[in-house]
Amino acid sequence: MLEQLINWFPEWARPFIMPMITIGIVLQVNLGVCSYLILLERKLSAWMQDRIGPNRVGPWGLLQPVADMLKLLLKEDVIPGHVNKFLYVLAPGISVFTTMLAFAVVPFGPVPRNLSATDGQFPYIIAPGVDLGLVFIFAVTSLAVYGIILGGWASNNKYSALGAMRASAQVVSYEIPLGMSVVGLALLTGSMSIEKILLHQADAGIFGWNIWFQPLACVIFFAAAMAEAQRLPFDLSECEQELVGGWHTEYSAMKWGLFFLGEYTHVITISFLTSILFFGGWHFPWIAEPDSQYLGSTLVKVLVLLTKSFAFIIVIQMLRWTIPRFRFDQLMGLAWKVLIPLATLNVVCVMIVKQFHLNEWWLLPMSAGLFLGAGLIGTQSSRPFARRTLEPVPEAHGHHAHAH
Amino acid sequence: MEWNEENGLLLIPLGLGCLAVWWLMPSAKQRPRILGGLAALAAILMMQLMLLPPAGDYVRNVLFFLFAAAAVISAGLMITDRNPVYSALWFALVTLAVCGLFLLNSAPFLSASTIIVYAGAIIVTFLFVIMLAQQSGTATSYDQQPIQPAMATIGAFILLGALLFTLQEWGHIDGKSTNQHAEPGQFIALPEGIQPNPLSQAPQDNPHEIGSLRVLGRSLFGDYLFAVEIAGTVLLIATIGAIAIAPRRSQGTL
Repeated sequence: MLEQLINWFPEWARPFIMPMITIGIVLQVNLGVCSYLILLERKLSAWMQDRIGPNRVGPWGLLQPVADMLKLLLKEDVIPGHVNKFLYVLAPGISVFTTMLAFAVVPFGPVPRNLSATDGQFPYIIAPGVDLGLVFIFAVTSLAVYGIILGGWASNNKYSALGAMRASAQVVSYEIPLGMSVVGLALLTGSMSIEKILLHQADAGIFGWNIWFQPLACVIFFAAAMAEAQRLPFDLSECEQELVGGWHTEYSAMKWGLFFLGEYTHVITISFLTSILFFGGWHFPWIAEPDSQYLGSTLVKVLVLLTKSFAFIIVIQMLRWTIPRFRFDQLMGLAWKVLIPLATLNVVCVMIVKQFHLNEWWLLPMSAGLFLGAGLIGTQSSRPFARRTLEPVPEAHGHHAHAH
Repeated sequence: MEWNEENGLLLIPLGLGCLAVWWLMPSAKQRPRILGGLAALAAILMMQLMLLPPAGDYVRNVLFFLFAAAAVISAGLMITDRNPVYSALWFALVTLAVCGLFLLNSAPFLSASTIIVYAGAIIVTFLFVIMLAQQSGTATSYDQQPIQPAMATIGAFILLGALLFTLQEWGHIDGKSTNQHAEPGQFIALPEGIQPNPLSQAPQDNPHEIGSLRVLGRSLFGDYLFAVEIAGTVLLIATIGAIAIAPRRSQGTL
């Protein structure tokens, strides 16, 4: 059916048809899912705090996202007089554009192994066959900081500027552990392509999922990705108690909504990536194996992947109401003193295993050892550190002497 | 005067571009910007006639002109914009456009890592500093004027001219590209006398491998191992130096 549709178009347009269909589906599903994720987040927080949550619009409050959307669209769109108008309008667009672009290389179903642009197979990915999928995602998400920093600066407001400063320092710092944590996966798989990493795990079965060999990398990846998305334990840049709204203090109506659309799209991308990189993607024993050919197996595979990703979205939303916010120096310390050294040591472990042809299962105790070692160092050094900050250190013998 | 006949054609757009950039530079008295803009446009169009890309399919040509025009025009605007914040943003756009050209020339890893390092980190740091220095949104007066616009422009265009003449010598660009049978990933003809690196060539059985991570890694850590190690050592020393210079306080930072 799809092939007939493609052949109906002129020759030169055929390569564009399938990507357009895929983009349309992804965009629409993403917009719908984002609005209902906000409802889910509100319901979840209400449940965790022993409240009822939104329940007035429709049965069980199910039409609340529609009402929210209408409100955002119909509200007066205020552009304050003291802002830099061009950059002020540009910033939310960059925010949404970059997060949506990152989804281009994330597969959302079983990607066919021999794919061509015009033979009518549904690709289940917007841009199939990108050899450097992981690097592409990091490159695109590293541009997302422009939306934040421009929005904060163009608002011409102290709160916005402080939020933007914090956010840009945070995002630039957390990119490093995020990139380092998946180098181990690339070494184990021999490829940076997300599709190949997924297939490698699916072919190896449930005990070939990367979580068994790289549990530490999974934790580092998840934490760093949350920090990139500015989700709650790391949402220093928009903390309401100190900065009103951070970099989007001056935004209202749909421009504010676009920032949130960007954030939720980022959360969805993180969940998909975590389940694909570490938890086997669409693979699940017995019901979704690479060679399962029964009727509807493709649908089951898509559902398995969506279920896994949904589980991670729930985890992210529950973390928001569980863990208190970090202090800014703790946030930076976590990135530079904990996550980056741990990620580097993890890569060294993978290199050792690959170089000396050890069994890959050695990586599990190695990761656990690194994790326990880091925890032990953390708890042992916290007491002397507390003492050291309380006692005033004489400046004269301090560290300035080293500089000269 | 054979040299003049062959290469003199390049001098006109170079001179025109030089004049345009100097004219557009922010200065004390307002010059009409339209004159500079027209001169710059004329220079770009004349230059474009001489540096045609090899004939490819239409998608490739459209993308090439899109990225190339974006890169050149954003670079000009970056130099000539009054507001340093906009200059930094034009710089980011130049980086992105050049990364698009890298991508067209089968260097996806170079493209992605340039975006991560330059657009994602270095220009963000620039913006950071500029925004800390001037939070009111308008540039202060000492930031608005270049100190030596004429010298800077002439120096930059001499460098550009040297680059273009060298490219012309290599590719024999005499009005058109001589590289009629361009391979994918090839912009101008390979210079004579410089042999292509055997390790960085795509394997015969799989021509799609050109520019892939595998080939790049083999080339970097095979042919250029010494240069890579030297660069790594220099960066390590710079990092240690930065940590040694940074002031420390007893009560933690920030």
